[in-house]
Amino acid sequence: MASEEDDDGEEAQGLRKIIHVDMDAFFASVEQRDDPSLRGKPVAVGGSGGRGVVAAASYEARKFGVRSAMPGMTARRLCPDLIFVRHRFDVYKEISRQIRAIFRDYTPHVEPLSLDEAYLDVTDDLKGIGSATQIAQDIRRRIREDTQLTASAGVSYNKFLAKLASDQNKPDGICVIRPGQGAAFVQSLPIRRFHGVGPKGAEKMARLGIETGADLAAKDHAWLRAHFGSFADYLYRAARGIDLRPVRANRIRKSVGGERTFGEDISSGPLLRETLDNIIEIVWESIERTQAKGRTVTLKMKYTDFQIMTRAKSLPRAVADKAEFAGLARALLDEALPLPLPIRLMGLTMSNLERDGQVERPRDDAQLSLL
Amino acid sequence: MKATIERATLLRCLSHVQSVVERRNTIPILSNVLLDASDGGTLKVMATDLDLQVVENIAAASVESAGAITVSAHLLFDIARKLQEGSQVSLETAENRMTVKAGRSRFSLPTLPRDDFPVIVEGDLPTSFELPAKTLAELIDRTRFAISTEETRYYLNGIFLHVSDEDQPVLKAAATDGHRLARFTIPRPDGAEGMPDVIVPRKAVAELRKLLEEALDGNVQIDLSASKIRFTLGGEGGVVLTSKLIDGTFPDYSRVIPTGNDKLLRLDPKSFYEGVDRVATIATEKTRAVKMGLDNDKVTLSVTSPDNGTAAEEVPADYRADGMEIGFNANYLKDILHQIDGDTVELHLADPGAPTLIRQDEKSPALYVLMPMRV
Repeated sequence: MASEEDDDGEEAQGLRKIIHVDMDAFFASVEQRDDPSLRGKPVAVGGSGGRGVVAAASYEARKFGVRSAMPGMTARRLCPDLIFVRHRFDVYKEISRQIRAIFRDYTPHVEPLSLDEAYLDVTDDLKGIGSATQIAQDIRRRIREDTQLTASAGVSYNKFLAKLASDQNKPDGICVIRPGQGAAFVQSLPIRRFHGVGPKGAEKMARLGIETGADLAAKDHAWLRAHFGSFADYLYRAARGIDLRPVRANRIRKSVGGERTFGEDISSGPLLRETLDNIIEIVWESIERTQAKGRTVTLKMKYTDFQIMTRAKSLPRAVADKAEFAGLARALLDEALPLPLPIRLMGLTMSNLERDGQVERPRDDAQLSLL
Repeated sequence: MKATIERATLLRCLSHVQSVVERRNTIPILSNVLLDASDGGTLKVMATDLDLQVVENIAAASVESAGAITVSAHLLFDIARKLQEGSQVSLETAENRMTVKAGRSRFSLPTLPRDDFPVIVEGDLPTSFELPAKTLAELIDRTRFAISTEETRYYLNGIFLHVSDEDQPVLKAAATDGHRLARFTIPRPDGAEGMPDVIVPRKAVAELRKLLEEALDGNVQIDLSASKIRFTLGGEGGVVLTSKLIDGTFPDYSRVIPTGNDKLLRLDPKSFYEGVDRVATIATEKTRAVKMGLDNDKVTLSVTSPDNGTAAEEVPADYRADGMEIGFNANYLKDILHQIDGDTVELHLADPGAPTLIRQDEKSPALYVLMPMRV
């Protein structure tokens, strides 16, 4: 499952100090914080109803292999004692506001990725601390004091490395990748850790003899281009720990979505619908996590001849709930049936997003208020 | 229940009530319409969403056996739409089903019992007055575009109605979303004296406006209390819309209506609207602002978009005050200009950060206040 990143090609200049802060098992930790009877137990947030997927799993549950975006039934099979709790987005949103307020004490350059993670550019921090590592520790301490929750942080000189670093010593950990260490760090990683490389992508890489970042770095750009098309630019830079994307505080997310590549080609109607239902679950979960409200739902399918077909439907207002999202997605698939060829990939995206009434919406300050 | 009714009559009536019914409901009976046939030969048709209900009495029904039942509003409406023109539709209930027959078509629909159908308890509605339907329609048209859709300030999600004594007693309607304000003032109708301040919700306004379109020649009877309002169109046997009112306090909007704006701009609303519309073509979501450069007897409208380039247009105007530049949301400006019928529109400006007053002229019953954008 690859999620979509908006990239407008802007590039940052000079050496930067970037922190990626990621709350540990966020939703599950909040539930364990607020209900002591859940502490130390395997907990899944969401996923209890029929086809639902797990939105978050506590570390106790992860020991059994329970992961987010996993169907609830699979999770229960892996961990029969798993406790399912309903999500409370209002509470998560409030905590998210708290932690973003902490971030903004240190820098105005905060790019939230979802409720529970954000990039911070602290090259020129507001408190004049200077040390990104010190700031990351300060932030982690304040998050723990203010919310009784733990966060992990990755400190480095670009977003790609900072994100890899925050994952390195989870939970409640910190990892610093200093200038000069990025390439070596990336090359030690299994290829699956690269953002955008899913299970099918990793399989393909394995077939081509690529298991680690070092294997990837050994390939030249033309070779990557021949095998991975437009993905090559990203892979080439990633393998060298290069990422020039700036931290964009005003980044306006344009879409939320995801797609899945199959092990085998699919053409039968019932199987397509079942696949779509799985993707609906997963994508709706990320829509809820980002709290995005959008008007347009797009279905994407890649045929076995690699032609890509997309179909979209729009509402005059934002999609109200999961049932409506699912209804639009199913209608799109029904209209596309029967397919001319079997497909190897299916994805759903919600776009035409309304902007949230938060600080991430600077243009609206331009409109002055009467009341 | 067994009743027969002409298809066109049934369709017209269902078209009045069905839009009240929400497409998706968690309470099943709210998807339904209540059909109540009485021995006198009237069929009462009613729909509700718990906050708003619409009841219509059709006199031209032939009732063979009285009774009442509820069936899916959208199903029945869709069926009535597709039945042959001119056909007689028979509605008959038996064993939890209602049979709809017309010509050679026959439908059997699931039902829910009428006793479960929720009815809004109107209670006492002590204030009563009448308004010409045309006046009420204009009052709605001139204000509704400014109603807020933001649910956090729910008390702005409707039209505020209140009476006041100025030079003469008046009834005022106001709506605002915090960026713009629209106010419409009419002489206070007899019976409205002492009425409580009320906020009529957006959905009730929209449904009422649709009903008015078919009854513009008559009067509308309005009865209200502090918590409910009832509009009766077409007298006995007509349509009755009853709505709960928004339980909140509308802000004291009079304080944002500027009184000392001394820069007066007069121009033709049509060429102004068209000019704004043209330059706004290149505006995007991010840059909705249109900049107005005011000079001696002309206005230069311009939009600068980082993605789409620039646009500018000069509009002739009557302006004598000091030159200035001010920005507005193009859509807000168009919404207001759309409501100006005459040959001139007046903009009373102060500075680029202060509310601007817009009206046709000082005698106009409609008045608009628009907050600028920083450009």
